[in-house]
Amino acid sequence: MKTYKYLFLLIGISIMGCSDLEEEPVGLLAPESFFATLEDVQTAVNGSYGHMSHRYFMSREMSMPLMLRSDMVELNEFVTNAERVQFDQIEVLADNASIAQYWPKVYQIIGAANQAIAGAEIVGGDPSEVNPIVAQARFARAFAYFHLVRQFGDIPYLDAPVTDIQAAATISKTPAADVYANIIADLEFCQEWLPETQSAASIPAKAAAESYLSLVYLTLGDYQNAYNYSKMVIDNEGAYGLGLEPDFQNLFNDNEEASPEPIFEIDFSSVTDGDQGRNYQGPYTGIRANEKYDDGGGWSVEVPSMAVYDTWNDQDYRKSVSFDPTGVFGGEVHSYEDFTDFYTAGVNRPHIAKFSRYGGLQGGNNRGNEQNYIMMRYAEVLLIAAESLNELSPGSTEAEGYVNRVRARARNGAAGSTPGVFPPNVSGLTQVQFREVVLDDRRIELAFEFKRWYDIARRKIGPEVFSAAGLEGYRAFDPNKDYLFPLPVNELVRNPNLLPQNPGY
Amino acid sequence: MNLKTKLILMLGLIFNLSLFAQDGYQLSGTVTDATNMPVPGVNVHVDKTQKGTATDFDGVYQLDVTSGDILHFSYLGYVTQTITVSNQKELNVVLVEDASELDEVVVIGYGTQKKSDITGAVSSVKAAELTAYPTSNAEQALQGRAAGVVVQSNNGGEPGAPIAIKIRGNTSISASSNPLIVVDGFVGATMPQAGDIQSMEVLKDASATAIYGSRGSNGVVLVTTKKGRAGKLSIEINTSYSLQNVTDHLDLLNADQFADYQTIINPDYVQGPADTDWQDLLYQTGSISNTQASFSGGSDDINFYASTNYFKQDGVVINSDFETLTFLSNVDAQVTDKLKLGMNMFGSRSNKEGVPTQSTGDTANGGGDDVVSLMFRFMPDLPVQNADGTNSTNTIGDNIDNPYAVATEAVNETTTDRFRANLYADWDIVEGLNFRSTFGFSTLNQTVGTFRPSTLIITDGGLGGKATIDQLTTTNVLSENYITYNTELWKGNLTLLGGYSYQKETTERFSAGATGFISNSFSFHNLGGSEVSLIPTSSLVVQEIQSQFGRLNYDWDDKYLFTATVRRDGASNFAKNEKYAIFPSGAVGWKLSNENFLKDNQSISNLKLRASYGVTGNQAIDAYESFAKLSTLFTVIDDVVVGAVVPDQAANDNLKWESSYQTNLGLDLGMFHNRVSLSFDYYNIDTKDLLLADESQPEYLGFLTLASIRNVGEINNKGYEISLNTINITNENFTWSTNFNWSTNKNTVVSLINGIDVFQNAAPGYFSVARTHVLREGEAVGVFWGYDYQGVYQGGALPEGTAVFKGAQAGDPLFSDLADENGVTDGVITTNDQQIIGDPNPNWNFGFTNTFTYKNFDLNIFFQGTYGGEVFNLTDVQLFNGDSNATTEVLDAWTPDNTDTDIPRVVGSRGREISSRFVEDGSYVRLKNLAVGYTFPSDLVEKMGIDNLRLTVSGQNLLTFTKYSGLDPEVSYFGSGGESGGDSNTMQGFDFGNYPTIRSVNLSLNLRF
Repeated sequence: MKTYKYLFLLIGISIMGCSDLEEEPVGLLAPESFFATLEDVQTAVNGSYGHMSHRYFMSREMSMPLMLRSDMVELNEFVTNAERVQFDQIEVLADNASIAQYWPKVYQIIGAANQAIAGAEIVGGDPSEVNPIVAQARFARAFAYFHLVRQFGDIPYLDAPVTDIQAAATISKTPAADVYANIIADLEFCQEWLPETQSAASIPAKAAAESYLSLVYLTLGDYQNAYNYSKMVIDNEGAYGLGLEPDFQNLFNDNEEASPEPIFEIDFSSVTDGDQGRNYQGPYTGIRANEKYDDGGGWSVEVPSMAVYDTWNDQDYRKSVSFDPTGVFGGEVHSYEDFTDFYTAGVNRPHIAKFSRYGGLQGGNNRGNEQNYIMMRYAEVLLIAAESLNELSPGSTEAEGYVNRVRARARNGAAGSTPGVFPPNVSGLTQVQFREVVLDDRRIELAFEFKRWYDIARRKIGPEVFSAAGLEGYRAFDPNKDYLFPLPVNELVRNPNLLPQNPGY
Repeated sequence: MNLKTKLILMLGLIFNLSLFAQDGYQLSGTVTDATNMPVPGVNVHVDKTQKGTATDFDGVYQLDVTSGDILHFSYLGYVTQTITVSNQKELNVVLVEDASELDEVVVIGYGTQKKSDITGAVSSVKAAELTAYPTSNAEQALQGRAAGVVVQSNNGGEPGAPIAIKIRGNTSISASSNPLIVVDGFVGATMPQAGDIQSMEVLKDASATAIYGSRGSNGVVLVTTKKGRAGKLSIEINTSYSLQNVTDHLDLLNADQFADYQTIINPDYVQGPADTDWQDLLYQTGSISNTQASFSGGSDDINFYASTNYFKQDGVVINSDFETLTFLSNVDAQVTDKLKLGMNMFGSRSNKEGVPTQSTGDTANGGGDDVVSLMFRFMPDLPVQNADGTNSTNTIGDNIDNPYAVATEAVNETTTDRFRANLYADWDIVEGLNFRSTFGFSTLNQTVGTFRPSTLIITDGGLGGKATIDQLTTTNVLSENYITYNTELWKGNLTLLGGYSYQKETTERFSAGATGFISNSFSFHNLGGSEVSLIPTSSLVVQEIQSQFGRLNYDWDDKYLFTATVRRDGASNFAKNEKYAIFPSGAVGWKLSNENFLKDNQSISNLKLRASYGVTGNQAIDAYESFAKLSTLFTVIDDVVVGAVVPDQAANDNLKWESSYQTNLGLDLGMFHNRVSLSFDYYNIDTKDLLLADESQPEYLGFLTLASIRNVGEINNKGYEISLNTINITNENFTWSTNFNWSTNKNTVVSLINGIDVFQNAAPGYFSVARTHVLREGEAVGVFWGYDYQGVYQGGALPEGTAVFKGAQAGDPLFSDLADENGVTDGVITTNDQQIIGDPNPNWNFGFTNTFTYKNFDLNIFFQGTYGGEVFNLTDVQLFNGDSNATTEVLDAWTPDNTDTDIPRVVGSRGREISSRFVEDGSYVRLKNLAVGYTFPSDLVEKMGIDNLRLTVSGQNLLTFTKYSGLDPEVSYFGSGGESGGDSNTMQGFDFGNYPTIRSVNLSLNLRF
């Protein structure tokens, strides 16, 4: 019997586990089960906004090419990173590390939007409740594709969540014209369904859809539609709660949320999750070793050429808002001419101030800056209206009025100060003169706001602005190549159907 | 177990043979080893009878015998002695450690087998080899000890760094090529301390590993811990202390040289106020102290072994240390004649206080989170602290902290608790039929705390300090039950095994963090004392494996051996339709030396041929990889954190097992009474359905996980292994024996999805490099990718077939110009000019040990080396970049007056290009261990009540022969550029920022009483 006692013990410990091996993930989100309510759809839309605040998008990797490739921002000559040098010197290679980083991020914005749109179909419901949320997703998608198509031309285009990887991995490029058509279709849907106002400018409202439609059409040279949509915004500025911020400086401040001017923004707060939500514009544009903002100083990476500063009229209030010509070192204020006395590898030029002067809780070289990035603001809408109207019917006082409204705000200077005389109102210009004035007003008004390179590419003025007489001196600009960036080389390896590479790369 | 005796046979006393028989009488004697130490527990057995006994603790036995009886003296790890009794009353025997290991019983999966009967490829490593020099874990002690086994630290000489073991190359290209570790039958256990290990068996071919089915494809390491023996209580104390230094310093510029160098780049450069040798400041003399105390003993029915071990290492880089305290006990009880019960228990706590090394370059801009690369990069003309008391930071290049500040102020603390218990019951049901059941449990609790104070401005510290705590709890429950049936069948022995196994692993993670601390004094112990909490995260992962397995062993007439194994495994990790797989294997062996034509051969004592074929699997992927997945994403709207989800990965209904199809051909040869024994193996492994985080998946798909796990293709590994043991000289006072093992491995990527190259990037994020490694059909795994350096451009027309970067001047680097897809070469570098520029896979590895004993002295010399692997010196890429300190080689840079050089001109803005300029030969031969031991004469120490007293002085890594110009050819920077992370078999051979390899001198004392 004794043995049997132990035998029972044996059997006892040996009976253990018989499983069907089904995985039952707790805490894991599956697309099929996640979408139950409209709040869930909004949560998915929020994902696309979240991706926009990652370092790999406007905070750093995509904004740096846009800034450096323009004629308004140069790279500190002691900064060695090849991917930056390549954009600054217009010698981009197809394995450029910035492109490699932001390309997937832009598509993640699109992927998140596609997921939200598909989620809305699962949830269903009254179109008047569903579509305004879907419209946010379609806006995010259009916004992302608009960046891509301007930079790369023909691109892979996906408008639904990927379920069959093998199929999606072998698609061919969609021609730029079709991409634009899709962007327009998305934005038209947004224009129909987005509400007139939202709680924050980081959520698109009707004005965001119309503003972007006007900019898309302006980019395509369809001035009639560009004018129509910008006019819609202007005509509805009351209903949309829009207007120009009286004090230009207040746009570049962590309190800009209160301003009526921003139409679409990327939101930053001092709370981040690694590079998710971290603000790099302050560090990249700020003065190295500067004690002025108690943030450890910036990194002096993106610094405008001296010509940008020198050619900018000193009486223009926007110049003082846009630039920091002095820093504080060792407790004393010093002019930009002495910056390298305090940091050898710095740059003795005025630095961009739009991202670092008022950033709320800063720190970490300004990475804790709470200031949102304005992607579209009312002043740009006025300038789009002016530019497009000038192409349709030159010499109109209406077009002059839009330009002068922006100029008047600049003249008004800081809140409570006496208005200045610069920039004067425009009137009586020829179509060509007016076209140049508006383009240059965009350069000044929207300086360092990621707009200039797109203007150069849109107006095809590369050889002119990168000539010896340009703001940055001569750059070997090849109009047959350099208006487009190279598709990331690894992506062409992964999907050879994306070939050919853009010309010249 | 001491080092000195190996492979010698001596009879203590030889008595005359008697020609006539006598009646039974009592024979007695003492069994000792070659060092004259009594060997307790030796089995003394009279041939063809049930009669037998065992030696007591003093090695003494008594046995009733009849003259003419044949006695076998056998003990695990020693050569069995067979002696015919011839009337003598006393028979003393000296047992010698088994050179040929032929009759050694070795542990195989779910059983044991005589070494001579094994048909697969199995290497055994002895306790003495594992404890030849102090190591923080037994994996480290395996290096160079077994053919075909490559051991490498994941982070140089870092105290507490994980150790990677690779058996027969990278059979997998997924995250894990680590073998399965089985400790006393517990599958997937943590390795115990080397001092507690009785033996280690490395199962290499499919015949040996197929019994572990889906987890066998990377090989299996079977560990048997020490057990108690009947006899008096034995107490053993082993203690050692060693002093350590780095093997080498980089020859960097001093402050004056540096200022001159920077002035070339920036004429306005102002030399800093100091002359700091950061290597001197950061390196220190490290130390290891290791003490193990064990006691063991037992009665006829119960025996036990219990041990504790305390290991403490102060690293050679300041503020990096590791300590671990372990406990291990084994209790075995013979409950009835037929039933044996027992339990193994293991517990440990380890605490690692590290300095940040192996920069990812992702957490901080410019990779300022890595003290090792900072030590080399950081400006030598800056002091540790500025005049105002703040830490100095680089004033050229990226804004990075000085390494001293990072090493002393950043906190990285890992506390790990492990516990394992394994209960077994072993029941001899009837003669030949045995049932064994094990039930085990293991748990791991790990807390990783980090803190970056606000004084470190770039390491996220500017926000008032940042602290994080990551908590991980893993529990494993394992139940295994199997029946073994052993019978004679015709002229042979048949052994059948059948069993069932179930294992469940539960992993819970939790992490929290905060920034903006009101004080820098909290470290990570007061997350509440902060302004801002980071988003906490948590997760639960459950994985299950259930299996049935069986094995048949049959030997016919001790000449022909057959083994067949099958295991059916199911794992929850795989897709719905791919959960189960069957892993079969078969092997044959032919003992030629037992054939009549060789039986009486005087020189050949053993000759065996082996052949095996089988399939094993790899399920080492994370759970839930086959699901479509959404992930939460940190998102702010209107300065308020809101809920957000994004697509993370697509569903993969076809995700399935990676399977290895392995052929092994082997030969075992023993000559001159096995004084020379040779093993030779050839293997060929085809690994199909490779699991890989698939970077060939386009990134425009929009998933957060850019490279999800897929079955991507096939690789082949093939190679030879030779193991040669010889006893060169053996006489009364002097012995010399040699152990040599040598192995080759050649791997080839056979196929990839659609034949598309998979490019990978192993450089840290701030290098901004897109690709450094490639997987390409027909090439070795993970070859280097970049430009082919052709020396310095001397200006004027480009030499034929070369190109430069756009805008290059004389003195800039020159590269090979490859034709683009239109066949055009234009002298300007584009990405079309990149190509394969090196191969990190070594052609062969070897270990070479010589052991000498002279009277009570012994000497052990162990060389280890590798040949043919290339190293990419990423450190040099950084140091020649112009934005950091440089090696003195830069003094020979090209200038108009110094054109005959291979080093391009000094510039401040050269991209960190990956080119063959930085590819070097990584071959080396290293004196891994040199040890001199002295065993005190037993008659001397016995007066003090001591059974054994031994002193050893040893040195590790005392000599290294290599052409590699960097710090050390044993490199281990595993790529973690951008958002990817972790080690990877496909991104080997990069030297950057890893903790330096150490050289040490060690004194150890072994005491038993």
